[in-house]
Parts: sequence; structure tokens; C-alpha cells
Amino acid sequence: MRAIPQSREDFPLVSFKLSRIACASFGAVALGLAAPGFAAPESKESKDPSIAEYQSVISPILETHCYECHGDGYDKGKVAFDALDTDEKILKPDLWLRVLNNTRAGLMPAEQKPRLSAAEQQKLERWIKYSVFKIDPKNPDPGRVTVRRLNRVEYRNTVHDLLGVDYNTDHEFPPDDTGFGFDNIGDALTTSPMLMEKYVAAAQAVVAEAVPTVPRKPIEQVVKGLDFDGTNARVKWGKRQLVFSEAANVAASFKTNLPGSYRVKFNMQVNGSYYPDPGKARVVFKIDGKEFLNQEFAYHDEKDYEFVSTHKWQPSDHQLTIELQPTVPAEKKETIIDVFVQNVTIEGPLEKAHWVKTENYDRYFPKAVPDGAKQRHAYASELLTAFAQKAYRRPLSAQDGDDTGERLAKLAEAYYREPGKTFEEGVAHAMAAVLSSPRFLFKLEAPAAHPLNATVADVDEYSLASRLSYFLWSTMPDQELQNLAARGELRKQLPAQVKRMLADPRAENLARNFTGQWLQARDVEGIASNPREVIIRDAGEEESIRQLRKAWRSQDEVTAKRLAEYIDKIVDAKPEFDSDMRKAMHRETEMYFGYLVKEDRPVVELIDSNYVFVNEKLATLYGIPGVSGPEMRKVTLPAGSARGGVLTQGSTLFVTSNPDRTSPVKRGLFVLNNFLGTPPPPPPANVPALEASEGEFKGHDPVLRDILKKHRENPMCASCHNRMDPIGLAFENFNALGMWRDTERKQPINAVGNLITGESFNSVAELKRILAGEHRQEFYVTLSRKLLTYASGRGTEYYDVETIDEIVKRLNANDGRFSALLMGVIESAPFQKMRTQATATVAN
Amino acid sequence: MSDRKPNLASERHDSLSRRHFFRGMGACIALPALASLASRQAFAKQVSKVAPTRMAFVYVPNGAIPAAFWPTATGADFALSPTLAPLANVQKHLQVIGGLQDLSANPGADGAGDHARASGTFLTGVRIKKTAGADIRAGVSIDQVVADQIGHLTRFSSLELTCDAVRKSGDCDSGYACAYEYNLAWRSHNQPLAPEHNPRFVFERLFGAGSPRERVANLKRRQEEQNSILDYVLDDARSVNAKLDGRDKQKLDQYLTSVREIERRIENSSRLAVKNPDIDAPAGVPDSYEEHVALMFDMLALAFQTDSTRVSTLILSREGSNRSFQDIGIASGHHDLTHHKNSPEIIEKVKLIDRWYVQRFSRFLEKLQSTEDVDGRSLLDHSMILYGSGNADGNRHTHEDLPIVLAGSGSGAFKPGRHFKTPGVPITNLFLTMADAMGAKQVDSHGDSTGRLTLG
Repeated sequence: MRAIPQSREDFPLVSFKLSRIACASFGAVALGLAAPGFAAPESKESKDPSIAEYQSVISPILETHCYECHGDGYDKGKVAFDALDTDEKILKPDLWLRVLNNTRAGLMPAEQKPRLSAAEQQKLERWIKYSVFKIDPKNPDPGRVTVRRLNRVEYRNTVHDLLGVDYNTDHEFPPDDTGFGFDNIGDALTTSPMLMEKYVAAAQAVVAEAVPTVPRKPIEQVVKGLDFDGTNARVKWGKRQLVFSEAANVAASFKTNLPGSYRVKFNMQVNGSYYPDPGKARVVFKIDGKEFLNQEFAYHDEKDYEFVSTHKWQPSDHQLTIELQPTVPAEKKETIIDVFVQNVTIEGPLEKAHWVKTENYDRYFPKAVPDGAKQRHAYASELLTAFAQKAYRRPLSAQDGDDTGERLAKLAEAYYREPGKTFEEGVAHAMAAVLSSPRFLFKLEAPAAHPLNATVADVDEYSLASRLSYFLWSTMPDQELQNLAARGELRKQLPAQVKRMLADPRAENLARNFTGQWLQARDVEGIASNPREVIIRDAGEEESIRQLRKAWRSQDEVTAKRLAEYIDKIVDAKPEFDSDMRKAMHRETEMYFGYLVKEDRPVVELIDSNYVFVNEKLATLYGIPGVSGPEMRKVTLPAGSARGGVLTQGSTLFVTSNPDRTSPVKRGLFVLNNFLGTPPPPPPANVPALEASEGEFKGHDPVLRDILKKHRENPMCASCHNRMDPIGLAFENFNALGMWRDTERKQPINAVGNLITGESFNSVAELKRILAGEHRQEFYVTLSRKLLTYASGRGTEYYDVETIDEIVKRLNANDGRFSALLMGVIESAPFQKMRTQATATVAN
Repeated sequence: MSDRKPNLASERHDSLSRRHFFRGMGACIALPALASLASRQAFAKQVSKVAPTRMAFVYVPNGAIPAAFWPTATGADFALSPTLAPLANVQKHLQVIGGLQDLSANPGADGAGDHARASGTFLTGVRIKKTAGADIRAGVSIDQVVADQIGHLTRFSSLELTCDAVRKSGDCDSGYACAYEYNLAWRSHNQPLAPEHNPRFVFERLFGAGSPRERVANLKRRQEEQNSILDYVLDDARSVNAKLDGRDKQKLDQYLTSVREIERRIENSSRLAVKNPDIDAPAGVPDSYEEHVALMFDMLALAFQTDSTRVSTLILSREGSNRSFQDIGIASGHHDLTHHKNSPEIIEKVKLIDRWYVQRFSRFLEKLQSTEDVDGRSLLDHSMILYGSGNADGNRHTHEDLPIVLAGSGSGAFKPGRHFKTPGVPITNLFLTMADAMGAKQVDSHGDSTGRLTLG
């Protein structure tokens, strides 16, 4: 394989904002040191045309525009172009990737210095892309994706599509490690013994739930907990709740239509909180007035009980009653203990003549199980081959020596030949093995047929089907995709298939999982926040809190009460910030992106638009009148509103804040990272990433703008904070919960600022217009890079520059519509192709 | 111990609320085979068994305020510092060790990212590769070095635990992949061992699911079924592996080693009896972080007590954690606070957090101390529990003079009950000494070790 140097695209040059004087004196030192060993590059003759072009075309541009800080003895950011004294150093990609990114973003040449002319920029870019990166535009390098394990979202969806079971992997599996900001990156996804153990257990649990183990069984009726009604029949978490400390009497009825034996199962749960409670209660369960259970229960955490009784019945109506009698006086109650009435199941008649086909039986066993051992084995093999093909997302081809079907049949047979086991149980057991296989758990890919000497080939149609479905749906390919792949027609019908897939409800997964990570919307429901502190700080009432504490300490109850009421009033005047609010915020971001996808809107609407998605709760937070009810909907904003676009959505404002206040640094960094693609370098080592220099302000609580100003007085901090802070401070009109505010600590908010690239703004609305206008190209590049990363499962590399440029070109040619971005990614080399040499995976 | 403050006593009393008794202590006390301390003397006469030595690493994030952490005096009768004060009841089982360092966590040419480095290097002792995900590389961690040698003696060669249930989306610390911050144990240079955060799952892994009576049978049945599944998937994996190379092969190798580890465990289970505690499994992840930590410590104690494993790592919070501690009146995030700019008010808050963590740890040690091992001595005597952080001063991101407490005597390998300062040696030197005490052979060096640290 070709040796391809590793580099990362997201590592731009340090931007310097030291004064010219500082630059000069700093440089003088460097010059003194560098002078003796100085080697002139032009003294070396080279036959490489790339070098010749460097010397004749590129070097003069650099001398004119860059040597002031990066040459003639100056080496700011440890970059000195005239120190590139060998061909090898000149052609090293990582330096030039930084040059490319920083000149394009307008960060270099640094402010006040003349920019490269358009012609110069073009010459530089061409040389970097085609001479240094050696990109062949006609046959770009697709890069190398390390084989990807299904992450826990994909696993859950895939198992659901395969077997109709919803297995809660968020609960059961450990979180997946992320790379490049996403959790579907092959290199970052690892497998540990614990995870493997969980995979096998999950496979067994899923199959046990989905696959019937007997062909026929008695009729089953279920009387649900909520069907029981009567005295003190309460509802909690959607379940019928009886409370230990409160006498209850509830009843329900059912009918038997056939004479025979019946089995009745009463399922209930005792559920206390984490705190033990002395309460006890007696539960009496009666059928047709006759007692079948009379037992006292005590505190337990989520403990399930099942009570079974058998009956001989004629066709008739039957009455079920459940009584709860407290046996410890209610005064002793400390917490609430619940009895949840789960359900009552009636099976019968139990006589075989009345049995019916098991639900879902035909889905897994379309034929009757044959009698002979050989025939059974053959049937098992047939069933399991079909299942494995589906689960492995590609056919098992016998001529390739694949004996999967036979191995599975053997596994099933060994199981169903054990005493007491059914044929169906044996097949189910083998299905669990399929779900534990690396061929299920990993997305194994193969190249399509290609010339032997080709270094790059299309991925085969099955791989393409999987790439598409996991990209757009976060799940396995459906039957149509698999059929097309089998006929070799998927690639031909790509645009139509993408359109079909986007119209499918499963496309929600793209919005959920891409924005969930790119915009961190997933974090909204989990991160720590202290709404009370935020509101009190905004109101500038921290002094009142200090007074309140003082009053408590000195047991001055009158003052304490007065102050507590005063503070409560301030907090209560704001919308309640609870889990429903967080859910609404999370949902808004998903719906907003989903709308963009569905309606094929221009992607700049991610930055700026005149609409939001809200329900009543979120509308209150946004201060939008006239929205009632819990359902989320699109609402057009009045002219002049500061909202619109994801940057001013609750979710973004909230996740970029600290638990108790806003963080302009986090917000600035968020925009630079996720929208402009020009993150500042990480803070220097061993210098605290502070903002909390509040201690330096004596006598008053400072606003963040002043605190940050203090921080930037240190030139070492200023070079990066000049980039982050103005952007973050523009959002200061939104507090840490995403609510609009005019003041912080009783001082009016000042959102005025200017970007490092020179543009100035007076408000967040103006900043958004600048980002969507002057900086649109950087946004296109950044968004393309993020989506390509998510789609391909690897970080972008220097050789992807051309691919991304092509996607941006398509965006520019199509009003920036989402479809241009999406098809640009899907039709790109990294998505369509793979390197061939020794990289082939399964090809069975 | 002479300066034990009176308020500590009442603090301790409060903590032993009934809730804690049931939820926290109940698990261990109820074990039938292992008597309480009260009956120790009567018991000791009948027992002549040899108890194994155990080793655990308990990780706390963001270092500790040095001035409040370090006791002023060294030697045997040192007065505990404010941060370590909650450990008064177990002081004679502790070694507070100064001057240990993790220089691999220094920035070097890699720049920022001291949090990712602090945890990524802590047990590995090697510099970690700065990568956002393409080519993760740390080293084998010391717990795994030891587990490799003695893991076959127990049903689980090691147990990885965490109290961090929620993960942040997107990027982690300054260009380092998240794997470095969320994992402490590394089985190979590129295979971190993801820790379990749900106490219920820990319990069920150890002892099986279901009621106490059915549990062992359930576990056995499940393992038998799994055995045949594993045979099949190994065949599948081999057929796949033959066609892979490079990084793809590494991924499949991780899968294969994981499968073999389960096979080994099943095999061990047929030799080694499951000591099934007669208690119910915990319900799940409690809402309160304090409860969560208490339960995880319970699970760790239970695993050691039942000799299900002898090697464990427990992350109380991932390095760089920005958790707020509302219960003790701290609304701001831990990490934000550690960059305190010398504000006395903020430093005070960080100290409270440091002490909060030590308090949880002290309860765990007290439990180990009050639990009797098979030879009549306490479980703590037969343990080496290292508590600490890969960051020393969280404010300045230093990695020298790490805040480290080693509890237990490692079955008499050393004499605890003192505070001493090393002249500044790699913490890996201490790890080698611990590995020796665990009976690991021929571990000549680990990471940046320069020799073995002699412990009294």
C-alpha cells in the first residue's frame, strides 16, 4: 500500500495577535539563533516539477506575504517557510493543509497585512492540492475506513428491523467511544470482553422475545392493569397504581367462550423508592368472589410477583377483584410504596384440541416442522441461511466455501435434540449465535469487481446498501435496498433511492444522530444545570442570597423568610425549566434539521432563518405568544426576532453554558469549531483555561464581558480569546437556559463586537447575518466535512480537500440546498469507493 | 489521630443513616459465609485458610488542592490533613505517599490535554498518542499486567467499574479521543476496557440474574448455552479475520480476545464455585450520585469478598469531570472550579469536593475493614486499594506530587499507618511493588518505571 502521511485537517495555524513590536523583538531573537545554520532552499537543484513550481511560483508569494512572520529568521507558531531546506520538508502535507485552511478562512496573512490576491491564492491552492497532496481529481483517494462495529444506536435499530424487538441498548450497553466528534468512527469503536458478554446476552434476550418456541398454544387473554377500576385506582407512569397506605378495591372482568381448563396468572409489582419504608399492606386477589391470594407485602424495590391458579370453566363471564388493605397505620408512612397491577393473563382452554397457532409463528417458521431427523436438519439449514443472509447484510455464497448454513443447522440440532427442547428453540438458539457473530456486529465491506492492478475500486453493491442505510437511517438496509444490490442496480438508481429513503420515517435517525452529536443536542437532557442559580445571577441578586445565608446562620427567621420569599418571586417569574423543557429543546433541534432535509432548504438556514419549532413550554421560554399545547410545531418569527437558526436555539445555548452561568468562551468555540471550522489551538499547556477571575473585582460582581476583558490583558491568552470571545459575547443576551435577557447582574448586556477577520456587529442578529453571508464558504466547508465524517466513519484527511471542494461547489451551484450537500457526500469517492490493495474484507 | 475533630464524629453518625445501612452496608453484612467483625475471634480459631490479596485503583478527577490534601507531618503518627480527615477511622491502614509523579502526562510536544493525559497515562505509564480517534494508542495498564498473571485464579480476571453514567457528545479534551478519559484499564495499547456503570449489571455479571435461590442455576444454564454460541462465532471470526489486515485486523483481534476471555471465564466457573450472596441485586442506577458511588463501592467490596476477582479499577468520575455537587451546596462544575485563580472562596469549594470524595472512600475502607476474610483477618488487610488522581494540582495541571493514598497492607506485604515522601519517583515504581505483592512474576518494568518503590 502507498505510504500516506497522517495528518489532521482540524489543526490550523496559531493565529497571532501580538503587536508588531512584539513580533519584531521576538523575531530578532529567533534570527540570531537561526542565522548560522541558514540554508538557502534555492541552492538545491531538484528534478521534481512540484519543487520547481514551488521555487518559481510559490516561494515568491510566500516571500511577499508570509516572510514577515514566517521567514527571514521569523518563525511564529514554529513555522518558517525558508527553513524548508529539503524536498521532503517542502512536500510534507500537514503544513500545507494549515496554510490552505488559514488563507482560505482569512486568518492568514494575519490582520492588517495585505491579503493574497485571488490569482495568488489560486496558484497556491492548486500547487498544494495537486503537487503536494498529489490529488488526482479524476481518481481521488477514497481513504481507508477501519471496519466499523455497530454502535449502540445502530445495534438497537438493526435488531428492531430484523426481529421486531426494541432492545434498550442505551440502558444495557456501555456508551461507545467517539472519534472526530461522532460515535460511528471505525477506529474509535472498540470491543471489550464486557461488551462481548453483553452482545451474547442481548442476542439471547432478543431472540427469546421474538421467536416463538412452540407452534401452537392455548388461547391467551390479557386483562391489563389499567382495565381494573374502582376505589382508589390510581395511575403512575402509565400503570395501574395502588398505594400501600390507602385501602383500594378494583375490579375487571373477562369472558370464557369454551368449556375446559384455564390457567390464570396475576402479575403485580411492589415498588418503593430507594428509601426503605415501614409500611405493609395485604393484597387480596379474587376470581368470581373466591380468594386465590391473601398475602401481606412489605417494602421492595421493583419486585415482581406472579400468582398462578387453575380452573375448570364453562362459557361465562368472570369477575376479577383486587383489594389492598393497609396493615401499618398511614401515620408511619415515610415514602410511597406502590403496588403496580401489571396484568392478569388467562390461558385456556388448556386442552390441545383448542390450541391456536402461536403469534408470529409463520414469520419465523413458514412451514410445518417435518418429522425425520434429516428433514429437520435441512429445514433448520434453510431457515438459518435465510436469516443469516439478512443479518449479515450480504448473501452467503456456497461456492466461496461458506458453510455458514450448515454450521448453524448443526448448532440448532445439537440444541433441539436435548431432552425437553423443541425444534423452534434450537433454531432460536442458532439465531442468537448469528447475532453474536462479527459478521453481524461489524460492517464488513468488499470491493466490486475491479482490474487487478487498480488501487481504488467501487465498494460492492451490498456494501453500498449498508453504507447508505446506516448513513441515512442508522440501521440495516431494507428489502428493497437488498434486492437492488442483489440485482446490481443500486448504484444506477442512487438518486431515486436516496429520495425514497429520506421520505421514510427512519430518516429521522439522520437528524437525531447527526445533529445530536454535531450540535451536541443529545446532551441537552443529561447535562447538569442549576436554573435557580442562573436566574438569581442574571437578576444580580447574589447579594440577597448571601444575606439569606447570613440570616439563616444568625437564626434571624424574619429576615430569612422575607428574603426567601423575595428570591422565590424572582425565580417563579421565569418559565419553569424542567425535563419537559429539555425534551422540547432537544426535539426542536432534531425537527429543525429534519425540516431542512425534508423540504430541501438552503443549509445556511442552520445559521439564520425566521422560524423555530416550539410547543407551549418552549414558546414561553422564547417569549413567543399564542402557542398552546405540548406538541411541537413550526412557528414563523416576527420581523426583528433574534431567534431563528440553531445557534440561538435553546439546545445550543444551553449545552454551551456552565451549570450556573453562560460561557461566552464555550459559545465562541462552538461556532468556530462547528460552523467556521477554524478552532483556535488548545490553550497553552499548564495555563488554566480560566474565566473565573472574579476574585480580582473588589466590591462588586462583575459581568462576563469584564471578566474576559481582564483575561485578554494577558497577550498569551489574547491571541485565541480575541477569536472566541467576541462571538460568544454576542450571545450574551441569552442566559444559560436559553432565555432572552437584557441585563446581567443588573448591568445592560452589550453584544457589540468584531470578528478577527474584521467584520463588526452590534447584535447577535447581525453576527448571524455575517456568518451566513461573508463566512458562508467556511460554513459550507465545515458542514460538508462534518457530514462526510459522519457518513464515512473516519476523520477527514488532507487528501479529502478536493472531495470537500467539490461538495461545496455543488452547494454553491444549487442555492446551498441540503440535497446538493447530501448527494455530494453520497456520490463522493470516500462514500462510493475503497482502496483495494490488501484492504479487502469479506467477499463471500 | 490525636487531632480528631469532634464534628467528624457527628458527620459520620449522620452518614450511617438507615438508608445507607440498607442500601450501602447491607450488601456485605448479609453475606452468610463471611461473619461480621464481632464474631471474628470465635471464628478465627476454626479457620486456617489462606486469603488472597486484592488490588484496586480508585480514580478521582481533577487532582486535589495540595495545601489541604497533604498532612504536615510525616512518619507514623501524622495528623490527617483537612481533606483526608474523613479517613480517621482507618488511618492505621493507610499510607499517604508524597512525591509520586506521572511525567508522561506532561504536555511535552503535545500541548493542551492534561485531563485526557492524566487518566490515559495513570495506570499505563506511557505517553498516549494525541489523536481525535484515528489511531488510539496508550499501553497495557498495570491492573491488566497483574490480571494477566493471576486472572485465572478467579472467575473474573478483572472488573472495570465507573460511576459516570452520562457521556458528553462531540469532542473530548483538546484533540484527544474520549477513550482516554472514560477508561482507566487498557488490555492492550489500543483496547481500552469499557467500565460498567450500572450496579445491577455488575451484580448480575458476578452472580447471575434472578432471585437469590435461582441465581447460580441461571448463571450455569446461561453459560452452557453461551459456550456453543461462542464456538460458532469463533469460526465466523476466523473466516473473516483471514481476509483482513492492518487496523481491521486489530478490530477483529479485539473481538477474538473478548470471546476467548468469556470462554476462559466459563471454564473457570466450572472449577471455581460461585459464592452467591443471599441478597437481592441492586435496582439499577440511583438518581443520586452519592448513592451511585456507595453502590459501586458495595459491588467492588462484594466482588472481593466473594473472590470473584482480585483486580479492579473504579472511576468515581472521569478525569476533567465538571460534575456539580448540589448536596453540599456547590452549583458550579468541579473542573471549572479547580481553575480557581487563587480565589479563596473557590478554593474552599474545591476542598469540599476533594473531601467529599475522600469521605465516600473512607466508608468503603471501613466496610472492607469490618468484613472478615476467610482467615479471620479483615478484607482490608488483604487488599491494596490505591486512591488518587493523575492530576496533582488541578488548577495548574501538574503531574508531580500526585495525591495518592494506598490503603491496606497487601496481606502483610507492607506496614501501613504512615505518611512519607518519596524523592520524586514515577508512580509506576509503586505499581511494580504492588504487582509483586499480588504475586505477579517477572514484571521488570512498567511504563516509565525506574525501579521498585520500597514500602516499609
